Amino acid sequence: MRPIAGGETGRRSVSFTDSASPREAVLRVDRLGYAYSPDRFAIRDLSFEVGRGEVFGLLGRNGAGKTTTVRVLTTLLPPTEGTALLFGKDLHQCGRAERARLGVVLQAESLDFVSVERNLTLYGFLWGVPREVAKSRAEEMLALFELNEVRHRKPWGLSGGERRRFQVARELMHEMELLFLDEPTVGLDALTRKRILEYLARRAREGLSIVFTTHILQEADLLCHRIGVLQAGRLRASGPPAEVKRRYRGPRTVEAGFERALTGAERSDLLAVLARAGEKFKVVTFEPGVLTFQAGNAEDLVAEISRWASPRDLDVDRISVREATLEEAFVNLVSDDAPPDTGPRAEFA
Amino acid sequence: MTFPPVVRLVIRNFEANLDPITLLVMFGQPAFLIVILGTMFSGLISSVGSSGSYIAFLVPGMIASQMITGAVLCGRVFWLDRRWAMVEQIFSGPFLRAEYLAALLITALLFSLVGVGIMVLVALPLIGVPGLSLPELAVILGTIALGSLFFGGLLIAIGGRIRSANLYFTIQSVLQYFLIFISTVYYPVSAKTPLVLRAIVYANPLTYAANTVRDAFTHSFGPGDLVAGAVLTGLAVVAFVLAVASFNRLELGPVQ
Repeated sequence: MRPIAGGETGRRSVSFTDSASPREAVLRVDRLGYAYSPDRFAIRDLSFEVGRGEVFGLLGRNGAGKTTTVRVLTTLLPPTEGTALLFGKDLHQCGRAERARLGVVLQAESLDFVSVERNLTLYGFLWGVPREVAKSRAEEMLALFELNEVRHRKPWGLSGGERRRFQVARELMHEMELLFLDEPTVGLDALTRKRILEYLARRAREGLSIVFTTHILQEADLLCHRIGVLQAGRLRASGPPAEVKRRYRGPRTVEAGFERALTGAERSDLLAVLARAGEKFKVVTFEPGVLTFQAGNAEDLVAEISRWASPRDLDVDRISVREATLEEAFVNLVSDDAPPDTGPRAEFA
Repeated sequence: MTFPPVVRLVIRNFEANLDPITLLVMFGQPAFLIVILGTMFSGLISSVGSSGSYIAFLVPGMIASQMITGAVLCGRVFWLDRRWAMVEQIFSGPFLRAEYLAALLITALLFSLVGVGIMVLVALPLIGVPGLSLPELAVILGTIALGSLFFGGLLIAIGGRIRSANLYFTIQSVLQYFLIFISTVYYPVSAKTPLVLRAIVYANPLTYAANTVRDAFTHSFGPGDLVAGAVLTGLAVVAFVLAVASFNRLELGPVQ
């Protein structure tokens, strides 16, 4: 059998961040919960850690509890159960000193009634950033977030994307060790999003820890060292994106292209061989020269195809396996027909 | 140099939420009233009690009413901070809630004092230099401070419990006009004033403040001013407690 021509293993995952390594925890959350009333929980039983320089993504559907989690962890809401250690201090005891080490971009847009540029420098002033530093940092942020053209305009007159960029830019006016970003890229075009994600990844490499909520799963895949998937206020899974994808991906789609059309007998034989292999699979299409099927464990079936083709002197021109995306894993995790959340929470190191 | 958190918040309050037009209207209206109302009514009213001319009666009242102006501007800053989520943003930063509340009340006081300064400047050509002694000046400033604390605290307490901008600004406008018109800012209470109206006027803290400022201008402090000071102090403490309670129960999140 010739080497598989044009063989590929689906989209390669390009990550902005380096691989996860043991880090000093800046945030340690243990069975944290927040209830609006004794029988109405917004979040419950959340446990995860965020290390120094680590990007942790919180994913979930609307109303899953992402924003409430951010509000509790930034001391805006008091937890009603469980504990969290922020920079090693119990969240209940955290005050000015701990908040001074945080950056927070909330989902709700906040602004002052001055120009974009003055908003940045005024925010710097509020945080005690020296005037000259604030001025130069404002220039840097205006350039980085492409706000130079609107620097003299009031923020409420900006487009949705510009306002979102402004929110992130303003928060980056001061120094911080842990940055909370609640859906920072909503409404941004792909290029701007990429630029912001690259900047955040750079800051993470420099030691900034980031807790990041998003609906855009591709972003989480690119930026986050680890993710947590929230559903109805509970953490359904957490771990590196690759692990979550591996654990919760659906069947992968495999396409095997042969050098010639297979005869009817060959097709039946091949299907029988695959069936005997013991792996569950589902034929999507079987055109004369191309078999497309879905399987959870695609590797074994691909090997079976090779073994079947080899003695028949039949070349397999092409094998492509489309890798599961985080979106597929996410959908599997949070879809309505997902298994009920009664068992132990899945967590990957 | 880094200012203390409260100072940073006060400076930010002055700059962030107030546009020049609003300030012009808020301070321009009472100044305009001193000139127009004072001049017009002075021609009609020969004298008002110990003040003499109507304009000499009106000016101390308008000065006292600046505590309402300061409180309204402070309430506006607070409400806009809520409306534009700056309260949450500030609370998630290196500030204590108490500092934010203190900054708001200081903002109310400073705006009141700015208003007092403007009223005095406008009135000077009309009534001349009032010739206040140091204790009289201190009583005026103390009264303005207590009144700002009371009205500022009251508007913060109300603003913290309401989630609709329309409702808040309606309440604020009604309260503002009700308090100013049913007080002794524009006219004295006399034996001819209907009893019910007299009772309402004396239930209004602004009446005590206006009377005290007026007594300072006419150099005629009496026991009534001690009562006024005590009433204002008590009310200021109550309003402060209400504002703190409202802050402690403040629901963060979107308001309309």
